[in-house]
Amino acid sequence: MTPSLLRPDQPLRLVDTYPPSAPALQAIIRVEDLSIVFDGPSGQVIAVDRVSLAVAQGEFVSIVGPSGCGKSTLLNAMAGLERPFEGQVLIAGEAMRAPRPEIGMVFQQPHLFPWKSVRRNIAHGPRALGKPKAEALRIADDLIEMIGLTRFASAYPHTLSGGMQQRVAIARALANQPRVLLMDEPFGALDAQTRAVMQDNLLELRERINATIVFVTHDIDEAILLSDRVLIMSAGPGRILRDLQVSLPRPRSSAIVAEAAYLALKRDCLDLIRSEGRRAFEQMEIRT
Amino acid sequence: MSGGGRRSTSTAARLSVLVAVLSVPAFTGVWELVARSGIVNAVLFPPPSTVAVAVLEWIRSGQFFGDLVASLSRVAAGFAIGAAGGIVLGVLTGQFRLVSSLLSPLFHILRPIPPIAFVPIVILWFGLSETGKLFLVVWGVFFTVWLATHIGVQKVDRGLIRAAQMLGTPQRHMLWEIVLLGALPYITVGLRTAVSISFYTLVAAELAGAFSGIVYRIEIAQQNMQTGQVMGGLAALGLLSFVADRSFATLAERAVWWR
Ligand SMILES: Nc1ncnc2c1ncn2[C@@H]1O[C@H](COP(=O)(O)OP(=O)(O)O)[C@@H](O)[C@H]1O
Ligand SMILES: [Mg+2]
Repeated sequence: MTPSLLRPDQPLRLVDTYPPSAPALQAIIRVEDLSIVFDGPSGQVIAVDRVSLAVAQGEFVSIVGPSGCGKSTLLNAMAGLERPFEGQVLIAGEAMRAPRPEIGMVFQQPHLFPWKSVRRNIAHGPRALGKPKAEALRIADDLIEMIGLTRFASAYPHTLSGGMQQRVAIARALANQPRVLLMDEPFGALDAQTRAVMQDNLLELRERINATIVFVTHDIDEAILLSDRVLIMSAGPGRILRDLQVSLPRPRSSAIVAEAAYLALKRDCLDLIRSEGRRAFEQMEIRT
Repeated sequence: MSGGGRRSTSTAARLSVLVAVLSVPAFTGVWELVARSGIVNAVLFPPPSTVAVAVLEWIRSGQFFGDLVASLSRVAAGFAIGAAGGIVLGVLTGQFRLVSSLLSPLFHILRPIPPIAFVPIVILWFGLSETGKLFLVVWGVFFTVWLATHIGVQKVDRGLIRAAQMLGTPQRHMLWEIVLLGALPYITVGLRTAVSISFYTLVAAELAGAFSGIVYRIEIAQQNMQTGQVMGGLAALGLLSFVADRSFATLAERAVWWR
Protein backbone atom coordinates (compact mmCIF):
# COMPACT_ATOMS: atom_id res chain seq x y z
CA MET A 1 0.00 0.00 0.00
CA THR A 2 1.22 3.49 -0.75
CA PRO A 3 1.16 5.76 2.27
CA SER A 4 -1.72 8.19 2.27
CA LEU A 5 -0.86 11.68 1.20
CA LEU A 6 -3.79 13.00 3.16
CA ARG A 7 -3.55 13.37 6.90
CA PRO A 8 -6.50 11.55 8.47
CA ASP A 9 -6.59 13.99 11.37
CA GLN A 10 -7.18 16.91 9.07
CA PRO A 11 -10.87 17.16 8.18
CA LEU A 12 -11.58 17.86 4.53
CA ARG A 13 -13.95 20.71 4.17
CA LEU A 14 -15.77 22.08 1.21
CA VAL A 15 -17.03 25.56 1.90
CA ASP A 16 -19.18 27.36 -0.57
CA THR A 17 -18.51 31.08 -0.33
CA TYR A 18 -20.29 32.34 -3.42
CA PRO A 19 -21.26 35.10 -3.84
CA PRO A 20 -18.37 36.74 -1.99
CA SER A 21 -19.89 38.55 0.98
CA ALA A 22 -16.99 40.88 1.73
CA PRO A 23 -14.18 41.79 -0.67
CA ALA A 24 -11.04 39.81 0.03
CA LEU A 25 -8.45 42.10 1.54
CA GLN A 26 -5.35 41.44 -0.53
CA ALA A 27 -7.15 40.51 -3.74
CA ILE A 28 -4.80 40.96 -6.69
CA ILE A 29 -7.50 40.13 -9.23
CA ARG A 30 -10.92 41.62 -8.85
CA VAL A 31 -13.69 40.97 -11.39
CA GLU A 32 -16.64 43.25 -10.81
CA ASP A 33 -20.05 42.62 -12.38
CA LEU A 34 -18.38 41.60 -15.61
CA SER A 35 -20.55 40.91 -18.65
CA ILE A 36 -19.27 40.11 -22.10
CA VAL A 37 -21.54 39.97 -25.13
CA PHE A 38 -20.71 38.74 -28.64
CA ASP A 39 -22.55 39.49 -31.85
CA GLY A 40 -23.37 36.02 -33.11
CA PRO A 41 -25.05 35.07 -36.39
CA SER A 42 -28.40 34.72 -34.58
CA GLY A 43 -28.27 37.82 -32.42
CA GLN A 44 -26.27 38.61 -29.33
CA VAL A 45 -24.66 35.89 -27.21
CA ILE A 46 -24.06 36.62 -23.54
CA ALA A 47 -20.82 34.73 -22.95
CA VAL A 48 -20.21 36.07 -19.42
CA ASP A 49 -23.12 37.29 -17.31
CA ARG A 50 -22.50 39.63 -14.35
CA VAL A 51 -19.60 37.67 -12.88
CA SER A 52 -17.86 38.90 -9.76
CA LEU A 53 -14.88 37.25 -8.16
CA ALA A 54 -11.71 38.03 -6.29
CA VAL A 55 -8.42 36.15 -6.25
CA ALA A 56 -5.97 36.71 -3.42
CA GLN A 57 -2.26 37.25 -3.95
CA GLY A 58 -0.54 33.86 -4.40
CA GLU A 59 -3.77 31.91 -4.66
CA PHE A 60 -4.36 29.08 -7.16
CA VAL A 61 -7.94 29.28 -8.41
CA SER A 62 -9.55 27.00 -10.97
CA ILE A 63 -12.58 27.80 -13.07
CA VAL A 64 -14.53 24.68 -14.03
CA GLY A 65 -17.45 24.38 -16.39
CA PRO A 66 -18.72 22.63 -19.50
CA SER A 67 -17.29 23.74 -22.82
CA GLY A 68 -18.88 26.85 -24.24
CA CYS A 69 -19.86 28.24 -20.83
CA GLY A 70 -17.61 31.28 -21.14
CA LYS A 71 -14.46 30.20 -19.28
CA SER A 72 -12.09 31.34 -22.02
CA THR A 73 -13.98 34.60 -22.45
CA LEU A 74 -13.73 35.33 -18.73
CA LEU A 75 -10.01 34.49 -18.74
CA ASN A 76 -9.40 36.58 -21.86
CA ALA A 77 -11.06 39.52 -20.13
CA MET A 78 -8.63 39.06 -17.23
CA ALA A 79 -5.81 39.01 -19.80
CA GLY A 80 -6.99 42.24 -21.42
CA LEU A 81 -7.64 40.40 -24.69
CA GLU A 82 -11.41 40.85 -24.44
CA ARG A 83 -13.15 44.13 -23.61
CA PRO A 84 -15.87 44.14 -20.95
CA PHE A 85 -19.37 44.93 -22.16
CA GLU A 86 -20.27 45.88 -18.61
CA GLY A 87 -18.32 45.86 -15.39
CA GLN A 88 -14.55 45.64 -15.16
CA VAL A 89 -11.51 43.56 -14.33
CA LEU A 90 -8.99 45.08 -11.97
CA ILE A 91 -5.56 43.56 -11.61
CA ALA A 92 -3.32 45.10 -8.95
CA GLY A 93 -5.93 47.85 -8.75
CA GLU A 94 -5.69 48.77 -12.41
CA ALA A 95 -8.47 48.16 -14.96
CA MET A 96 -7.52 45.73 -17.74
CA ARG A 97 -7.98 47.35 -21.11
CA ALA A 98 -5.09 45.73 -23.00
CA PRO A 99 -2.60 42.93 -22.29
CA ARG A 100 0.07 43.75 -19.72
CA PRO A 101 3.38 41.88 -19.53
CA GLU A 102 3.00 41.37 -15.76
CA ILE A 103 0.12 39.05 -16.66
CA GLY A 104 1.19 35.83 -18.37
CA MET A 105 -1.05 33.53 -20.37
CA VAL A 106 -0.82 29.88 -21.40
CA PHE A 107 -3.36 28.79 -24.00
CA GLN A 108 -4.78 25.35 -24.76
CA GLN A 109 -2.56 25.24 -27.84
CA PRO A 110 1.11 26.11 -27.18
CA HIS A 111 1.13 28.83 -29.90
CA LEU A 112 4.93 28.83 -29.98
CA PHE A 113 6.57 30.95 -32.66
CA PRO A 114 7.43 28.24 -35.21
CA TRP A 115 10.38 30.24 -36.58
CA LYS A 116 12.10 30.47 -33.21
CA SER A 117 14.04 27.84 -31.32
CA VAL A 118 12.91 26.84 -27.82
CA ARG A 119 15.48 29.20 -26.36
CA ARG A 120 14.44 32.17 -28.47
CA ASN A 121 10.73 31.50 -27.90
CA ILE A 122 11.31 31.79 -24.16
CA ALA A 123 13.58 34.81 -24.60
CA HIS A 124 10.92 36.57 -26.70
CA GLY A 125 9.14 38.21 -23.76
CA PRO A 126 12.23 39.70 -22.06
CA ARG A 127 13.46 40.90 -25.48
CA ALA A 128 10.09 42.47 -26.22
CA LEU A 129 10.34 44.33 -22.91
CA GLY A 130 13.71 45.72 -23.96
CA LYS A 131 16.06 43.50 -21.95
CA PRO A 132 19.52 43.08 -23.54
CA LYS A 133 19.89 39.92 -25.59
CA ALA A 134 22.42 38.28 -23.27
CA GLU A 135 20.17 38.77 -20.26
CA ALA A 136 17.09 37.50 -22.11
CA LEU A 137 18.95 34.36 -23.15
CA ARG A 138 20.20 33.81 -19.62
CA ILE A 139 16.61 34.00 -18.32
CA ALA A 140 15.61 31.54 -21.07
CA ASP A 141 18.38 29.11 -20.17
CA ASP A 142 17.37 29.10 -16.50
CA LEU A 143 13.77 28.34 -17.40
CA ILE A 144 14.79 25.65 -19.91
CA GLU A 145 16.68 23.95 -17.12
CA MET A 146 13.66 24.24 -14.84
CA ILE A 147 11.35 22.59 -17.39
CA GLY A 148 13.99 19.92 -18.07
CA LEU A 149 14.45 20.61 -21.79
CA THR A 150 18.14 21.57 -21.81
CA ARG A 151 18.81 19.07 -24.59
CA PHE A 152 16.20 20.75 -26.76
CA ALA A 153 17.22 24.38 -26.24
CA SER A 154 18.00 24.95 -29.91
CA ALA A 155 15.25 22.70 -31.30
CA TYR A 156 12.37 24.16 -33.28
CA PRO A 157 8.86 23.72 -31.83
CA HIS A 158 7.54 21.33 -34.50
CA THR A 159 10.19 18.78 -33.53
CA LEU A 160 8.83 18.58 -29.95
CA SER A 161 5.97 16.50 -28.55
CA GLY A 162 2.75 18.21 -27.43
CA GLY A 163 3.70 18.00 -23.77
CA MET A 164 7.16 19.44 -24.39
CA GLN A 165 5.70 22.27 -26.45
CA GLN A 166 3.30 23.12 -23.64
CA ARG A 167 6.18 23.16 -21.14
CA VAL A 168 7.97 25.65 -23.40
CA ALA A 169 4.78 27.73 -23.55
CA ILE A 170 4.64 27.80 -19.75
CA ALA A 171 8.32 28.76 -19.53
CA ARG A 172 7.77 31.48 -22.14
CA ALA A 173 4.92 32.92 -20.08
CA LEU A 174 7.08 32.82 -16.92
CA ALA A 175 10.04 34.58 -18.57
CA ASN A 176 8.50 38.00 -17.92
CA GLN A 177 8.10 37.03 -14.22
CA PRO A 178 4.35 37.65 -14.30
CA ARG A 179 2.51 38.43 -11.06
CA VAL A 180 -0.52 36.64 -12.47
CA LEU A 181 -0.44 33.52 -14.62
CA LEU A 182 -3.61 32.72 -16.56
CA MET A 183 -3.92 29.19 -17.95
CA ASP A 184 -6.70 28.23 -20.37
CA GLU A 185 -7.09 24.43 -20.39
CA PRO A 186 -3.31 24.13 -20.85
CA PHE A 187 -3.34 20.34 -20.61
CA GLY A 188 -6.64 19.82 -22.44
CA ALA A 189 -5.00 18.71 -25.68
CA LEU A 190 -2.64 16.21 -24.03
CA ASP A 191 -3.09 12.47 -23.49
CA ALA A 192 -3.99 11.27 -19.98
CA GLN A 193 -0.48 10.12 -19.03
CA THR A 194 1.23 13.29 -20.21
CA ARG A 195 -1.46 15.33 -18.48
CA ALA A 196 -0.76 13.66 -15.11
CA VAL A 197 2.97 14.38 -15.52
CA MET A 198 2.26 17.98 -16.44
CA GLN A 199 -0.04 18.39 -13.41
CA ASP A 200 2.73 17.17 -11.12
CA ASN A 201 5.19 19.50 -12.87
CA LEU A 202 2.85 22.42 -12.33
CA LEU A 203 2.39 21.54 -8.65
CA GLU A 204 6.18 21.54 -8.21
CA LEU A 205 6.61 24.69 -10.27
CA ARG A 206 4.03 26.44 -8.15
CA GLU A 207 6.14 25.91 -5.04
CA ARG A 208 9.00 27.77 -6.73
CA ILE A 209 7.29 30.77 -8.30
CA ASN A 210 5.04 33.11 -6.41
CA ALA A 211 2.61 33.98 -9.16
CA THR A 212 -1.11 34.01 -8.60
CA ILE A 213 -2.62 31.41 -10.92
CA VAL A 214 -6.06 31.26 -12.51
CA PHE A 215 -6.52 27.91 -14.21
CA VAL A 216 -9.39 27.07 -16.54
CA THR A 217 -10.36 23.42 -17.05
CA HIS A 218 -13.38 21.25 -17.69
CA ASP A 219 -11.80 18.44 -15.66
CA ILE A 220 -13.02 18.48 -12.04
CA ASP A 221 -10.20 16.16 -10.91
CA GLU A 222 -7.61 18.50 -12.31
CA ALA A 223 -9.27 21.48 -10.64
CA ILE A 224 -9.42 19.89 -7.17
CA LEU A 225 -5.91 18.47 -7.43
CA LEU A 226 -4.28 21.78 -8.31
CA SER A 227 -6.33 24.47 -6.63
CA ASP A 228 -6.92 26.29 -3.39
CA ARG A 229 -10.34 27.24 -4.68
CA VAL A 230 -12.60 25.95 -7.43
CA LEU A 231 -15.15 28.20 -9.10
CA ILE A 232 -17.96 26.31 -10.81
CA MET A 233 -19.44 27.97 -13.89
CA SER A 234 -22.77 27.26 -15.57
CA ALA A 235 -23.52 27.50 -19.25
CA GLY A 236 -25.72 29.94 -21.16
CA PRO A 237 -25.28 32.59 -19.95
CA GLY A 238 -21.92 32.10 -18.24
CA ARG A 239 -22.25 32.55 -14.50
CA ILE A 240 -20.40 31.40 -11.43
CA LEU A 241 -22.55 29.00 -9.39
CA ARG A 242 -20.21 27.87 -6.64
CA ASP A 243 -16.99 28.95 -5.01
CA LEU A 244 -15.45 25.94 -3.26
CA GLN A 245 -12.47 25.99 -0.92
CA VAL A 246 -10.26 22.94 -1.38
CA SER A 247 -8.64 22.14 1.94
CA LEU A 248 -6.34 19.36 0.73
CA PRO A 249 -2.90 19.72 2.28
CA ARG A 250 0.11 20.58 0.15
CA PRO A 251 2.43 19.44 -1.29
CA ARG A 252 0.12 17.36 -3.44
CA SER A 253 0.69 14.97 -6.31
CA SER A 254 -1.57 13.50 -8.96
CA ALA A 255 -1.51 10.21 -6.97
CA ILE A 256 -4.10 11.55 -4.51
CA VAL A 257 -6.94 11.29 -7.01
CA ALA A 258 -7.12 7.57 -6.22
CA GLU A 259 -7.44 8.04 -2.45
CA ALA A 260 -10.67 7.60 -0.51
CA ALA A 261 -10.55 11.00 1.19
CA TYR A 262 -10.05 12.68 -2.12
CA LEU A 263 -12.92 10.75 -3.67
CA ALA A 264 -15.20 11.79 -0.83
CA LEU A 265 -14.26 15.39 -1.47
CA LYS A 266 -14.91 15.03 -5.14
CA ARG A 267 -18.29 13.40 -4.46
CA ASP A 268 -19.24 16.34 -2.23
CA CYS A 269 -18.18 18.63 -4.96
CA LEU A 270 -20.24 16.85 -7.58
CA ASP A 271 -23.23 16.74 -5.23
CA LEU A 272 -23.00 20.46 -4.80
CA ILE A 273 -22.89 20.92 -8.52
CA ARG A 274 -25.72 18.50 -9.14
CA SER A 275 -27.94 20.00 -6.45
CA GLU A 276 -28.08 23.01 -8.69
CA GLY A 277 -29.93 20.77 -11.10
CA ARG A 278 -28.18 22.00 -14.17
CA ARG A 279 -28.30 19.81 -17.24
CA ALA A 280 -25.01 21.17 -18.35
CA PHE A 281 -23.17 19.23 -15.69
CA GLU A 282 -24.55 15.82 -16.51
CA GLN A 283 -21.33 15.04 -18.28
CA MET A 284 -19.48 15.27 -14.96
CA GLU A 285 -20.83 11.97 -13.59
CA ILE A 286 -18.64 10.19 -11.11
CA ARG A 287 -16.79 7.58 -13.08
CA THR A 288 -15.46 5.74 -10.04
CA MET B 1 9.81 -13.86 -51.83
CA SER B 2 10.63 -10.61 -50.15
CA GLY B 3 14.25 -10.72 -51.37
CA GLY B 4 13.16 -11.25 -54.96
CA GLY B 5 10.58 -8.50 -54.62
CA ARG B 6 13.16 -6.07 -53.34
CA ARG B 7 15.53 -6.95 -56.16
CA SER B 8 12.91 -6.44 -58.84
CA THR B 9 11.94 -3.08 -57.30
CA SER B 10 15.52 -1.86 -57.44
CA THR B 11 15.83 -3.08 -61.04
CA ALA B 12 12.72 -1.10 -61.94
CA ALA B 13 14.13 1.96 -60.17
CA ARG B 14 17.42 1.67 -62.04
CA LEU B 15 15.62 1.25 -65.36
CA SER B 16 13.53 4.38 -64.84
CA VAL B 17 16.65 6.41 -63.98
CA LEU B 18 18.29 5.14 -67.18
CA VAL B 19 15.22 6.06 -69.26
CA ALA B 20 15.11 9.52 -67.68
CA VAL B 21 18.78 10.14 -68.50
CA LEU B 22 18.36 8.96 -72.10
CA SER B 23 15.03 10.74 -72.67
CA VAL B 24 16.29 14.10 -73.94
CA PRO B 25 19.16 12.70 -76.08
CA ALA B 26 16.72 10.21 -77.61
CA PHE B 27 14.19 12.86 -78.58
CA THR B 28 16.96 15.10 -79.91
CA GLY B 29 18.21 12.18 -82.00
CA VAL B 30 14.75 11.50 -83.42
CA TRP B 31 14.30 15.19 -84.19
CA GLU B 32 17.69 15.24 -85.98
CA LEU B 33 16.77 12.18 -88.08
CA VAL B 34 13.30 13.49 -88.97
CA ALA B 35 14.60 16.94 -89.88
CA ARG B 36 17.36 15.49 -92.09
CA SER B 37 15.19 12.86 -93.74
CA GLY B 38 13.24 15.44 -95.74
CA ILE B 39 9.86 14.43 -94.25
CA VAL B 40 9.53 17.97 -92.92
CA ASN B 41 10.78 21.28 -94.24
CA ALA B 42 14.29 21.64 -92.77
CA VAL B 43 14.13 25.43 -93.07
CA LEU B 44 11.08 25.62 -90.81
CA PHE B 45 12.13 22.71 -88.58
CA PRO B 46 15.93 22.90 -88.48
CA PRO B 47 17.72 19.87 -87.00
CA PRO B 48 19.34 20.23 -83.54
CA SER B 49 22.79 20.39 -85.12
CA THR B 50 21.79 23.54 -87.00
CA VAL B 51 20.34 25.01 -83.79
CA ALA B 52 23.59 24.23 -81.98
CA VAL B 53 25.65 25.94 -84.68
CA ALA B 54 23.40 29.00 -84.48
CA VAL B 55 23.71 29.14 -80.69
CA LEU B 56 27.52 28.83 -80.86
CA GLU B 57 27.59 31.65 -83.37
CA TRP B 58 25.32 33.71 -81.10
CA ILE B 59 27.72 33.22 -78.23
CA ARG B 60 30.86 33.78 -80.31
CA SER B 61 29.54 37.05 -81.76
CA GLY B 62 29.24 38.42 -78.22
CA GLN B 63 25.56 39.24 -78.68
CA PHE B 64 24.43 36.42 -76.46
CA PHE B 65 25.98 37.91 -73.37
CA GLY B 66 24.46 41.32 -74.06
CA ASP B 67 21.05 39.79 -74.67
CA LEU B 68 21.28 37.71 -71.52
CA VAL B 69 22.20 40.70 -69.37
CA ALA B 70 19.45 42.84 -70.90
CA SER B 71 16.74 40.22 -70.33
CA LEU B 72 17.94 39.19 -66.89
CA SER B 73 18.21 42.72 -65.61
CA ARG B 74 14.64 43.46 -66.75
CA VAL B 75 13.35 40.36 -65.01
CA ALA B 76 15.42 40.94 -61.86
CA ALA B 77 14.57 44.62 -61.49
CA GLY B 78 10.89 44.07 -62.26
CA PHE B 79 10.71 41.13 -59.89
CA ALA B 80 12.43 43.01 -57.05
CA ILE B 81 10.24 46.10 -57.33
CA GLY B 82 7.00 44.16 -57.88
CA ALA B 83 7.71 41.71 -55.06
CA ALA B 84 8.72 44.41 -52.56
CA GLY B 85 5.59 46.43 -53.38
CA GLY B 86 3.41 43.32 -53.24
CA ILE B 87 4.73 42.28 -49.83
CA VAL B 88 4.42 45.74 -48.27
CA LEU B 89 0.90 46.34 -49.57
CA GLY B 90 -0.13 42.75 -48.87
CA VAL B 91 0.86 43.12 -45.23
CA LEU B 92 -1.03 46.44 -45.02
CA THR B 93 -4.23 45.20 -46.71
CA GLY B 94 -4.07 41.88 -44.88
CA GLN B 95 -3.66 43.51 -41.49
CA PHE B 96 -5.68 46.74 -41.66
CA ARG B 97 -9.29 46.50 -42.70
CA LEU B 98 -9.48 50.15 -43.74
CA VAL B 99 -6.50 49.85 -46.10
CA SER B 100 -8.03 46.67 -47.49
CA SER B 101 -11.38 48.38 -48.09
CA LEU B 102 -9.54 51.13 -49.92
CA LEU B 103 -7.25 49.04 -52.13
CA SER B 104 -8.52 45.46 -52.41
CA PRO B 105 -11.51 46.18 -54.72
CA LEU B 106 -9.22 48.04 -57.13
CA PHE B 107 -6.57 45.32 -57.02
CA HIS B 108 -9.14 42.60 -57.57
CA ILE B 109 -10.36 44.39 -60.72
CA LEU B 110 -6.87 44.99 -62.12
CA ARG B 111 -5.33 41.63 -61.18
CA PRO B 112 -7.13 39.37 -63.69
CA ILE B 113 -6.21 41.57 -66.71
CA PRO B 114 -3.30 39.73 -68.43
CA PRO B 115 -0.24 42.03 -68.25
CA ILE B 116 0.32 41.48 -72.00
CA ALA B 117 -2.90 43.39 -72.69
CA PHE B 118 -1.19 46.49 -71.32
CA VAL B 119 1.47 46.49 -74.06
CA PRO B 120 -0.34 48.97 -76.35
CA ILE B 121 -1.00 51.52 -73.62
CA VAL B 122 2.49 51.04 -72.20
CA ILE B 123 3.96 51.90 -75.62
CA LEU B 124 1.88 55.06 -75.65
CA TRP B 125 2.94 55.97 -72.13
CA PHE B 126 6.61 55.05 -72.19
CA GLY B 127 7.50 54.52 -75.87
CA LEU B 128 10.15 51.85 -76.33
CA SER B 129 12.02 52.86 -73.19
CA GLU B 130 13.22 50.50 -70.46
CA THR B 131 10.69 52.06 -68.09
CA GLY B 132 7.83 50.58 -70.08
CA LYS B 133 9.38 47.10 -69.96
CA LEU B 134 10.01 47.41 -66.27
CA PHE B 135 6.41 48.52 -65.79
CA LEU B 136 5.06 45.37 -67.48
CA VAL B 137 7.17 42.99 -65.40
CA VAL B 138 6.42 44.88 -62.17
CA TRP B 139 2.72 44.81 -63.01
CA GLY B 140 2.71 41.04 -63.51
CA VAL B 141 4.73 40.29 -60.38
CA PHE B 142 3.04 42.78 -58.07
CA PHE B 143 -0.51 41.39 -58.10
CA THR B 144 0.58 37.78 -57.62
CA VAL B 145 2.78 38.64 -54.65
CA TRP B 146 0.23 41.06 -53.21
CA LEU B 147 -2.56 38.45 -53.22
CA ALA B 148 -0.37 35.72 -51.72
CA THR B 149 0.82 38.07 -48.97
CA HIS B 150 -2.69 39.39 -48.28
CA ILE B 151 -4.07 35.86 -47.88
CA GLY B 152 -1.02 34.72 -45.90
CA VAL B 153 -1.35 37.61 -43.44
CA GLN B 154 -5.03 36.86 -42.91
CA LYS B 155 -4.21 33.21 -42.26
CA VAL B 156 -1.62 33.95 -39.60
CA ASP B 157 -2.67 32.02 -36.50
CA ARG B 158 -4.55 34.50 -34.26
CA GLY B 159 -3.21 32.50 -31.32
CA LEU B 160 0.34 33.50 -32.24
CA ILE B 161 -0.67 37.14 -32.27
CA ARG B 162 -2.41 36.84 -28.90
CA ALA B 163 0.61 35.04 -27.45
CA ALA B 164 2.88 37.81 -28.75
CA GLN B 165 0.56 40.47 -27.31
CA MET B 166 0.61 38.78 -23.91
CA LEU B 167 4.42 38.87 -23.95
CA GLY B 168 4.48 42.62 -24.49
CA THR B 169 5.53 42.61 -28.15
CA PRO B 170 5.48 46.22 -29.46
CA GLN B 171 3.09 47.02 -32.33
CA ARG B 172 5.67 47.45 -35.07
CA HIS B 173 7.42 44.20 -34.15
CA MET B 174 4.03 42.56 -34.31
CA LEU B 175 3.63 43.57 -37.95
CA TRP B 176 7.14 43.03 -39.26
CA GLU B 177 8.03 40.03 -37.17
CA ILE B 178 5.00 37.95 -36.13
CA VAL B 179 2.69 38.77 -39.03
CA LEU B 180 5.33 38.81 -41.76
CA LEU B 181 7.03 35.60 -40.63
CA GLY B 182 3.67 33.96 -39.98
CA ALA B 183 2.71 34.71 -43.58
CA LEU B 184 6.13 33.78 -45.01
CA PRO B 185 5.16 30.27 -46.17
CA TYR B 186 2.37 31.80 -48.29
CA ILE B 187 4.55 34.66 -49.49
CA THR B 188 7.25 32.31 -50.80
CA VAL B 189 4.64 30.39 -52.82
CA GLY B 190 3.49 33.70 -54.32
CA LEU B 191 7.07 34.74 -55.08
CA ARG B 192 7.77 31.46 -56.85
CA THR B 193 4.70 31.85 -59.06
CA ALA B 194 5.84 35.40 -59.73
CA VAL B 195 9.21 34.13 -61.05
CA SER B 196 7.43 32.38 -63.95
CA ILE B 197 5.15 35.37 -64.47
CA SER B 198 8.12 37.72 -64.71
CA PHE B 199 9.39 35.65 -67.66
CA TYR B 200 5.98 35.70 -69.39
CA THR B 201 5.82 39.45 -69.08
CA LEU B 202 9.42 39.75 -70.25
CA VAL B 203 8.34 38.15 -73.55
CA ALA B 204 5.54 40.70 -73.96
CA ALA B 205 7.86 43.55 -73.00
CA GLU B 206 10.57 42.61 -75.51
CA LEU B 207 8.15 41.78 -78.33
CA ALA B 208 6.67 45.26 -77.86
CA GLY B 209 9.95 46.68 -79.14
CA ALA B 210 13.43 46.43 -77.73
CA PHE B 211 17.02 46.83 -78.86
CA SER B 212 18.49 43.82 -77.09
CA GLY B 213 17.36 40.81 -75.12
CA ILE B 214 16.75 37.14 -75.74
CA VAL B 215 13.18 37.55 -76.99
CA TYR B 216 14.28 40.52 -79.11
CA ARG B 217 16.91 38.22 -80.69
CA ILE B 218 14.27 35.58 -81.40
CA GLU B 219 12.11 38.16 -83.16
CA ILE B 220 15.01 39.48 -85.29
CA ALA B 221 15.98 35.92 -86.25
CA GLN B 222 12.39 35.22 -87.24
CA GLN B 223 12.36 38.24 -89.54
CA ASN B 224 15.53 36.89 -91.21
CA MET B 225 14.19 33.34 -91.42
CA GLN B 226 17.05 32.16 -89.15
CA THR B 227 14.98 29.39 -87.63
CA GLY B 228 18.02 27.78 -85.98
CA GLN B 229 18.61 31.00 -84.08
CA VAL B 230 14.88 31.21 -83.19
CA MET B 231 14.94 27.76 -81.65
CA GLY B 232 18.24 28.44 -79.94
CA GLY B 233 16.64 31.53 -78.41
CA LEU B 234 13.64 29.53 -77.24
CA ALA B 235 15.91 26.94 -75.68
CA ALA B 236 17.91 29.65 -73.91
CA LEU B 237 14.73 31.25 -72.58
CA GLY B 238 13.41 27.88 -71.37
CA LEU B 239 16.69 27.03 -69.69
CA LEU B 240 16.92 30.44 -68.05
CA SER B 241 13.37 30.28 -66.73
CA PHE B 242 13.95 26.73 -65.47
CA VAL B 243 17.16 27.66 -63.65
CA ALA B 244 15.47 30.72 -62.13
CA ASP B 245 12.54 28.63 -60.88
CA ARG B 246 14.78 25.90 -59.44
CA SER B 247 17.11 28.32 -57.67
CA PHE B 248 14.15 30.20 -56.28
CA ALA B 249 12.61 26.98 -55.00
CA THR B 250 15.85 26.19 -53.18
CA LEU B 251 16.01 29.73 -51.84
CA ALA B 252 12.38 29.58 -50.70
CA GLU B 253 13.01 26.41 -48.76
CA ARG B 254 15.86 28.14 -46.97
CA ALA B 255 13.71 31.23 -46.37
CA VAL B 256 11.18 29.21 -44.37
CA TRP B 257 14.13 28.01 -42.31
CA TRP B 258 12.20 26.46 -39.45
CA ARG B 259 10.46 23.80 -41.55
N1 LIG C 1 -15.23 35.84 -30.70
C1 LIG C 1 -16.47 35.33 -30.47
N2 LIG C 1 -17.50 35.70 -31.25
C2 LIG C 1 -18.74 35.22 -31.02
N3 LIG C 1 -19.05 34.35 -30.06
C3 LIG C 1 -18.06 33.92 -29.25
C4 LIG C 1 -16.72 34.39 -29.41
N4 LIG C 1 -15.94 33.80 -28.48
C5 LIG C 1 -16.76 33.00 -27.75
N5 LIG C 1 -18.03 33.09 -28.22
C6 LIG C 1 -19.20 32.40 -27.63
O1 LIG C 1 -19.23 32.66 -26.27
C7 LIG C 1 -19.54 31.49 -25.55
C8 LIG C 1 -18.45 31.15 -24.55
O2 LIG C 1 -17.28 30.76 -25.25
P1 LIG C 1 -15.93 30.37 -24.52
O3 LIG C 1 -15.57 31.45 -23.56
O4 LIG C 1 -14.93 30.05 -25.55
O5 LIG C 1 -16.35 29.05 -23.71
P2 LIG C 1 -15.41 27.96 -23.00
O6 LIG C 1 -14.02 28.46 -22.97
O7 LIG C 1 -16.01 27.78 -21.66
O8 LIG C 1 -15.53 26.70 -23.80
C9 LIG C 1 -19.80 30.40 -26.56
O9 LIG C 1 -21.17 30.31 -26.81
C10 LIG C 1 -19.08 30.89 -27.78
O10 LIG C 1 -19.72 30.42 -28.94
MG1 LIG D 1 -12.28 27.57 -23.84
